[in-house]
Amino acid sequence: MRYALTRIARFVLVFIIVTFLVMLVTRIGSKDPVRDLAGGTVGDETMAKIRADYPYVKACSGTFEYLPCVAKQYGYWAWDMVTGNMGQSYLKSQTVVEMFQERAPATFFVGLWAIVIGLVIAVPVGVYSAYKRDGIIDRVLTFGSFVSISMPQLVLAVFLLYGVASKLDFFPNLWDYVAPWSDPVEHFKNFFLPSLTLGLGLGAVWSRLLRADMIMTLQSDFINLARAKGVSPSRVLWVHALRSSVLSLITSVALQISSLVSGAVVAEQFFSVGGLGFRLVEAVQANDILVIQAITAVIVAVVVFANVIVDLLYSVVDPRIRQMRAMA
Amino acid sequence: MARTPKRPNRFLTIGSVLGLIWLIGITVLAFIADLIPSIRAPEKLGPRAAKNYKIGPGWDYWFGSDKLGRDMFSRCIYGAQISLRVAVASIIVGLVVGGFLGLIAGYMKGKVDSTINVLLDVLLSFPALILAILVVGRLDVLSDSWPWLTRTWSVTIVLSLLSIAPIARIVRAQTLSLSERDFVLAARSLGASKWRIVGKEILPNLVPAMVSVAFTGVAVLMVAEGGLAFLGYSVESPTSSWGKLIAENREKFNDGAWWGTTFPALMLFLTVFAFNIIGDRFARRFDIREAAL
Repeated sequence: MRYALTRIARFVLVFIIVTFLVMLVTRIGSKDPVRDLAGGTVGDETMAKIRADYPYVKACSGTFEYLPCVAKQYGYWAWDMVTGNMGQSYLKSQTVVEMFQERAPATFFVGLWAIVIGLVIAVPVGVYSAYKRDGIIDRVLTFGSFVSISMPQLVLAVFLLYGVASKLDFFPNLWDYVAPWSDPVEHFKNFFLPSLTLGLGLGAVWSRLLRADMIMTLQSDFINLARAKGVSPSRVLWVHALRSSVLSLITSVALQISSLVSGAVVAEQFFSVGGLGFRLVEAVQANDILVIQAITAVIVAVVVFANVIVDLLYSVVDPRIRQMRAMA
Repeated sequence: MARTPKRPNRFLTIGSVLGLIWLIGITVLAFIADLIPSIRAPEKLGPRAAKNYKIGPGWDYWFGSDKLGRDMFSRCIYGAQISLRVAVASIIVGLVVGGFLGLIAGYMKGKVDSTINVLLDVLLSFPALILAILVVGRLDVLSDSWPWLTRTWSVTIVLSLLSIAPIARIVRAQTLSLSERDFVLAARSLGASKWRIVGKEILPNLVPAMVSVAFTGVAVLMVAEGGLAFLGYSVESPTSSWGKLIAENREKFNDGAWWGTTFPALMLFLTVFAFNIIGDRFARRFDIREAAL
């Protein structure tokens, strides 16, 4: 329990530092953050309104006063976040909560399907490669996964968009968010290519990971025992061996969320998916402070949360790790 | 039934040799680009090429021409200069800073270790590309007052920052396991100082891992630079990088000018592939467990 609490406390600390750093970064070279909030040239009354809405947002200066000044503003902002007031984009005339409602589902589904595609590729490839290790198919698959790992998402996206999507009538030219429950087929058409762009690389990484783990597991005594008992080979492979090899795969799924978000930004931009990443790039271009801070805070929260889960899961599954980490 | 690997653990396989040849070729071309007349002047292809994507790949212009009638082959070679320079410079900074942090954290343990670990967690919990566009976007504003701060510099700074944490993690893990080894114990019982142990006993043993990480890291950073370029946050025109060439020529892909996108994409892919293959060979040769860079 003490272990769990220290881990959680540490992740909260990391979260606070990261969001504070983001705030600092948005202030780099900014003469008047209120002007940034307004998003360019606006009339005096709009500026006055923004100042009234966000009295704490102001420019900081001075060598020694700078950090405390920003820290104070961070405090106000953090309190706003905690009380559910996530802020407003004056540039888009939209509250940040509305923006999340509009944009988050698209990003969520791109990420979710990417993970699904990754696993659908990784599990059969990893298991089979480990089973027929160093066979011709294993070598082909290993080479293939190596190619996929080396394939930049940018290159893959170019190929999929111009080589596949525009040659077939099946995929839409203009992207549109369709919820899976309203029209599954349209949903698939819209989400397949962006998700595949992200999922292929993930699948390659995970299949290598699973292959390595499975090879270790298949050499262990309990597998020999299962075989000796006369358990059918496919059951040994898919149930006994896979189950005990899957731990690091699960870890990797959680730890890849951060790079998944990075990839989602590129994929969303490429396929014009109107998700959070797309919106974030717009916000960075305009230095729309509150939007940047809110989106990054949510992303970091998700990443950190996944880390906590993995950490705790690990120590639940394997008590040795708990002790080892407590000592470290 | 522990099976011994059937294949001998050689460093030079067909793949790594081809990869080395490709990398050496590209690097040499990028270095001497200014000396070769046909590469040197991408702008001057004569009136025949002055229109949009007029010339396809052929004997005269290997990779065709781009929208301003510039020779794509020449653009790709100059793109190689930037892509390689940015990625290699960043990985060097990453190795020095990350290696230092990792060594200290791994050897000192205790408070130093936990402080550095929080720092690394901070760097790692932030999606790389988002951190990159944020920082590059803000550094743009500063470049008004600091003229030396071109996009090439800001991209290098950001990519260096990104490469620190993963490298530090790997070095820390390696240091932790190395400092348990008997030769370190022997050195310590002979009365060697802390710095001597770190410098003379542990550091040399980190080199193989570092070489492997450097190669894979360059591959990762090149991909990251491509992503940045695509989002409009890499070097400014007319300077080109591979990612930028892909991004700026992609709209014409289906209007018949496939070469503008395909060739830089192919070069980026082959280079990343080559770096990955060599990094992987190193890792296997020296039995380094795969690290999550």
